Amino acid sequence: MNPMIRIVSLWLREAGWLLLALLLALSALVAGVALMGLSGHYLALSLLGIAAAVPALLPFTGTARVVLRYLERVMSHEAIFRALADLRVWLFRGLAASAAGGLGFRRAGDALARLVNDVDVLDGVFLRVFVPLLGGVLLLPILAWVLARESLPALLVLLPFLAVAFILPWRAARAARANAARAGLAMASLRSASLDALHGLREVKIFAAEGRMLAEVQAREADLLAAQRDLVWRGSALNAWAFILAQGGILLAIGCGFFGAPVAAIVAVLVLVTSFETVLGLPRAGLLYGQSAAAAQRVVRAAEAGPPVPDPAKPAAMPARNNIVFEHVAFRYAEDRPFVFENLSLQLPEGSRTAILGPSGAGKSTIAALLLKLIAPVRGQIRLGGVDISTLPAEALRHRIAYLGQTTHLFADTIRNNLLLGDPAADEARLWAALEAAQVADVVRALPEGLDSWLGEGGATLSGGQGRRLALARTLLMDAPILLLDEPCAGLDAATEMEFFRVLNSATEGRTVLLILHRLTGVEQLDRIWRLTGGALVAAAG
Amino acid sequence: MSRQTKPWIKAEQKLGFRAARLPVALGAVQVVFGIVQAGCAARLLAAVLHLARGGGTALLYGVLFAAAALARAYTQMQAERQNFELGAAARRRLRGNVLSVLLALGPAGLRGRHSADLAATAVDRVEAMDGFHARWIPATQMALIGPALVGLVALLVDWRSGLILLVAGMFVPFAMAVAGIGAGVAAKRQFVAMTRLQVRFLDRIRGISTIVLAGRAADEARALGAAAKELRERTMRVLRVAFLSSTALDLAAAAALIFIVLRFVPVMHGALGLAPVALFMVLLVPEFFAPLRGFAVVYGDRMAVEAVADEFSALPPAPEDVPPADIRAVAAHGVTLAFENVGFAWDETRAPVLRDLSFKVGRGEILLLTGASGAGKSTIMDLILGFIAPQDGRVTINGAALETLVPAARTRMLGWIGQKPVIFAGSIEENIRFARPSASEEELWDAVRHAHLEELVNTLPQGLKTPLGEGGFGLSGGQAQRVAIARAFLKDAPLLLLDEPTAHLDPAVERDVLESLKHLAAGRTVVLATHSTMAMDFAKSAGARRVDLDALRYASWRSVPV
Repeated sequence: MNPMIRIVSLWLREAGWLLLALLLALSALVAGVALMGLSGHYLALSLLGIAAAVPALLPFTGTARVVLRYLERVMSHEAIFRALADLRVWLFRGLAASAAGGLGFRRAGDALARLVNDVDVLDGVFLRVFVPLLGGVLLLPILAWVLARESLPALLVLLPFLAVAFILPWRAARAARANAARAGLAMASLRSASLDALHGLREVKIFAAEGRMLAEVQAREADLLAAQRDLVWRGSALNAWAFILAQGGILLAIGCGFFGAPVAAIVAVLVLVTSFETVLGLPRAGLLYGQSAAAAQRVVRAAEAGPPVPDPAKPAAMPARNNIVFEHVAFRYAEDRPFVFENLSLQLPEGSRTAILGPSGAGKSTIAALLLKLIAPVRGQIRLGGVDISTLPAEALRHRIAYLGQTTHLFADTIRNNLLLGDPAADEARLWAALEAAQVADVVRALPEGLDSWLGEGGATLSGGQGRRLALARTLLMDAPILLLDEPCAGLDAATEMEFFRVLNSATEGRTVLLILHRLTGVEQLDRIWRLTGGALVAAAG
Repeated sequence: MSRQTKPWIKAEQKLGFRAARLPVALGAVQVVFGIVQAGCAARLLAAVLHLARGGGTALLYGVLFAAAALARAYTQMQAERQNFELGAAARRRLRGNVLSVLLALGPAGLRGRHSADLAATAVDRVEAMDGFHARWIPATQMALIGPALVGLVALLVDWRSGLILLVAGMFVPFAMAVAGIGAGVAAKRQFVAMTRLQVRFLDRIRGISTIVLAGRAADEARALGAAAKELRERTMRVLRVAFLSSTALDLAAAAALIFIVLRFVPVMHGALGLAPVALFMVLLVPEFFAPLRGFAVVYGDRMAVEAVADEFSALPPAPEDVPPADIRAVAAHGVTLAFENVGFAWDETRAPVLRDLSFKVGRGEILLLTGASGAGKSTIMDLILGFIAPQDGRVTINGAALETLVPAARTRMLGWIGQKPVIFAGSIEENIRFARPSASEEELWDAVRHAHLEELVNTLPQGLKTPLGEGGFGLSGGQAQRVAIARAFLKDAPLLLLDEPTAHLDPAVERDVLESLKHLAAGRTVVLATHSTMAMDFAKSAGARRVDLDALRYASWRSVPV
């Protein structure tokens, strides 16, 4: 299905509101047309010397237009806000059910941020394409009726109206679609050049590359501006055409007057002035539509990707026990990629503490992803309490395994809400107990608003180590029998890292712990240590 | 909004107005053509009614109308293109400024800011300024000039109608002010509401894997819906009132039209010659209000500035170029580095990181810096690199204080390898040549060989031309560090700074990289900061002297041969 149609079909959920907004928009337009038409009619008759009373409708249509325009604004914004919320919730649900777990897992934060941007673009489509276009469509028969009533030849002026409302926007959309790819690429290069210059600031200074980097960014910027300029040139030419057509229409209407329909001519001219006012923006809307096509495609594709590992049709009952066994597991990310491992076996008895070490890229995180059912083994089996996890529902499985990784996110929200993500039913005492166990209780207590302090932008700023410990507190709250920690200290300095593991030792007593690390600090208390090299686990001295 | 934000916006506005003269002039010309068109249309319509003169003049007015329409279409098109150029020039200027400042400040000036966030300022926030310059500035001018021109013509042709138009025009801001609303409230509230929703949404999407893995996706989807609902209800309460200001505009337009029609009623039958004038006045009504509507449409662009201005105005000023007091030539090979009673604190409220630190590293010697994290190893590196300046004492190279050296000469002397080298988007070759773009093919290959990259390069299908970075070949930590070593070889600087060069490497890889570093260090003055025992052993075997910052924290200084 055309992705844009899919997006529009989402908005149709708010069909009632949308219809109301559209009807009001249309009524306001009709009132505007009537106001101009009546004025013209009255003026024409008076000028012809035909006595006519001031139409009582004149002030009425004036008032109606003003009131209807107000109501239309209110209703269309109500509809827009509803549509915005629907689109976002739909995308969120879709992502959550599809590859998003895996996406976030693989540090695809930028791809996700781009999706959010795309949704932003689509809001614009609703506001500036969808509503005015429907307005134009609905105005057409009314305009035809008004004109036909005055004189049939006056219907000719509908031709330029049709061209402005539909043909030019279509041309604009096509031009914009071709341009969008070019502009998108230029934008991406500009972003990566800027990021390179700033991310590598140290290197840039040391190798005296300031001038080179600036020139590079400016070259990418010039590409972007050229692409945008191209579109503006096309767009402005289309607008000029729209204007010329509209004026041609007016001239045509006047021409009708010379063939024996003087009153009709004046009415037609004044009606057209108002009608064209409403559709002259449509060629620009066409540009926007063309630019949004790619955004719609990305959003729909991401939201409807489907789960990476489908849940079993008839899930087995959750096992009572929590020991984990990997048996001859083979995995690769794609048919044409090499195996990450071909025959991996691992046992994690209940209550045991195990570490898997290895350099980055050895496949440590793949083990975590397999266990969480974000990916499925090509061969072999993973069992929880003796039951193959491919027969278990992912959601129930993940309630057994509390995961803390390097990408675990702290939300821009209160500390309380961040913790409640671990267990929405937790009471005050349990929250504090978890904070105590993770040894951040003192930090939180010292904040002026305690648990209700806001994290992130404009809120309390925690140090890297404190943030990790808060994430640990949340993980502990989940009360899952198995703890899976994947590089929980990435990006922290050595002293903070050591402190974290000391806390971890005491906080996780009695649970099954699997630690995935590139090296040990020496303070971890472990039963078993494996080293993952060349796709195989080798016992390391522990 | 911070204190510097308002003046910053003011300054941008001033620049914008100055640059907008041509597009605004085009806009004014366009309005004039519009008036000509309305006049011709009125004449034509009057002719249609057989009230004015014969057909000959009607044809003339028809031609004039068409000509004015074409001229207006063309002027409008040019104005649109000029407006784009306004925005483009402003973006070029802003982006150039932001990047120049950031590049001049260097890493130490930006402490605590994430590079992605700074890149967002240089890219997205600059883009967000486009609407302000390309649309808002010209529209603001036109909202004054357009109605003034139309009103003036109306006054001259029929002063009563002109007065009606001008009163209606005045009524717009007056009504807004009386209602205590101000044209911007609606746009502002809506903008703020959208921004909040978007920020929350972005945050939840970024953390979606955390939500999914905690099994809370359904709850969060509900919460997201509820947040959007609450936001909608709150915003709509405000908007319902705020939209009254747009209604004022509609009301004024409708009232003006009706009053002008009614103004001609008593005189109509007596003076048929008024027909062209009456029609002219009616046709001027939309012309009069179009620029005002245009202004209302671009209010969002003005709001967008408020959202990003904080970031721009908070950028530190570009460092002043202090001309070197004393330009010294420093020997190209072999340097002696010395710290003389150096003290440094990151800010006045915190305890100094370094106090009265002195040491000396002679040409060809290695200095080993050890100490817990936070003891000041990186601060010492930044001081030598010139990213920061000591508050007390001085850092000298061959006896000359660092700040008296020409920056370019100082940069030429310094080589540096950190924990994780930055790999730029581009090929391996471009990444190595980064150190010296003018290096010959031979020098490049020498660097590749010395850094033990030859084997890797030969296994890659495109060799040195293999693209790295996003979508390209992913280097392992050890391989990336070798690229950094190759860069250092290519730069061939006499003073080499090694800041925890093996902190992120596996033991086996670390040994290998240290071997390459040994080769690189030969004959150079080296400062090595490290935690790793293997790296310390390497330094000891090379006869390094050691400064233990923990032990020296509060003492003066000592240099212990290890």
